Amino acid sequence: MSDGYAILKLDDLGRYPSPLHDGSVLLPLRRTLGFTAFGANCWTADVGGQIVPRHEEDSGNEELYVVVRGRVRFLVGDEELDAPAGTLVHVPSQTTRQAFAEEPGSIVLAVGGTVGEPFTVWDWEAVVVAFSAAEQGRLDEAREVVHEGIEARPGFWGHPYNLACLEARYGDPDEAYSYLARALALSEDDVRALAATDTDLDSLRDDPRFKELFG
Amino acid sequence: MNTAHIDDLDRIEMDDGFVWRPIRRRFGIRAFGVNAYSPREAGSQVVEEHTEATYGHEEIYLVLRGRALFTVDGNEHELGPGELVYLRDPQLRRGAVGLTDDTVVLAIGGKPGVAHQPSAWEWMFASLPAGRAGDWGEAIRISEEGLADQPDNPGLLYNLACWESQGGRSLDALLHLQRAVALDERFRGYAATDTDFDPIRSEPGFPTV
Repeated sequence: MSDGYAILKLDDLGRYPSPLHDGSVLLPLRRTLGFTAFGANCWTADVGGQIVPRHEEDSGNEELYVVVRGRVRFLVGDEELDAPAGTLVHVPSQTTRQAFAEEPGSIVLAVGGTVGEPFTVWDWEAVVVAFSAAEQGRLDEAREVVHEGIEARPGFWGHPYNLACLEARYGDPDEAYSYLARALALSEDDVRALAATDTDLDSLRDDPRFKELFG
Repeated sequence: MNTAHIDDLDRIEMDDGFVWRPIRRRFGIRAFGVNAYSPREAGSQVVEEHTEATYGHEEIYLVLRGRALFTVDGNEHELGPGELVYLRDPQLRRGAVGLTDDTVVLAIGGKPGVAHQPSAWEWMFASLPAGRAGDWGEAIRISEEGLADQPDNPGLLYNLACWESQGGRSLDALLHLQRAVALDERFRGYAATDTDFDPIRSEPGFPTV
């Protein structure tokens, strides 16, 4: 970014296979450019793979999908669509949607926002990028991403909790306990509820420190 | 399923040589701004030269097909499919020329921190084909649709008055023009030389400079 604008090739975006989205690969456009007025990210996948994760928009977002390259098969509600490059698909918030790549190099751009509300940057982007980077062995990048979240929203329990999960799965268990304690201090009920069944923390459960934290 | 291909979008040709391909309006999208643009022919404007100072939008222009030569703040960038320019600063002047006949540029925009409101120009552009064809009733209907969304937008009032003036609805035209001028004095000057108002220029109450 220089002088208030940036030029970007979608092919230059980082590729983050999402551990949360069954193989869909996130190309984090919004996070890379830093815009905040609307949501917009790109997704890609191997041929036959899920390119748009199956979901509804619980946040209330309406979304527009644009097939930028390749060919995609959309499932929206109970309808199916063969969508070559240049296809636009508009989906209201509570409709289930999913898509699969039909050609190599397919890219779908997803644009979203909530009617009547300012756009909110959701933390899922950082979670996907961090855990995907860690899965690919780039733990420092993963830590940096979550730390950015902590700095941006220091009172939010989710970021230290995610960092605890990250350290438990890929990094330093001592750090994991430290961040779990921090998350508990910010929102004990949320953290207890999530930690009870979160497999990211399985490597910690037999340690006395885990029992000390959760009783 | 609510879907379209970019080649199926309406084509509304503008005087500057670019062709508006409405997306937001087609799908009824309210949460963000999104439209596509094509050049009338290779070498024509594909994104009109403008700033976003009025709306305060940050914008992305993504080339979906063809090639476009963007000029941003005086700097030229030739972009092809899958390449984009992101403009954070609404004050920057931006525009683009389509280098191939089939160029399509997708534009996405919104103002950070506020709920999106569709831009008033969309109704003005949308009413053009009807107005050019002399279908004043349809041009007025589209403009009134915009005013229902944004009742105090002086540009929409002015545009409506233009169609009403040409459509023989002199009193409505005068009232809407007067209201546009009351909301924004600049429209008094615009009306002074706008031939759309020739039919009502001599009417009592026509805003004079």
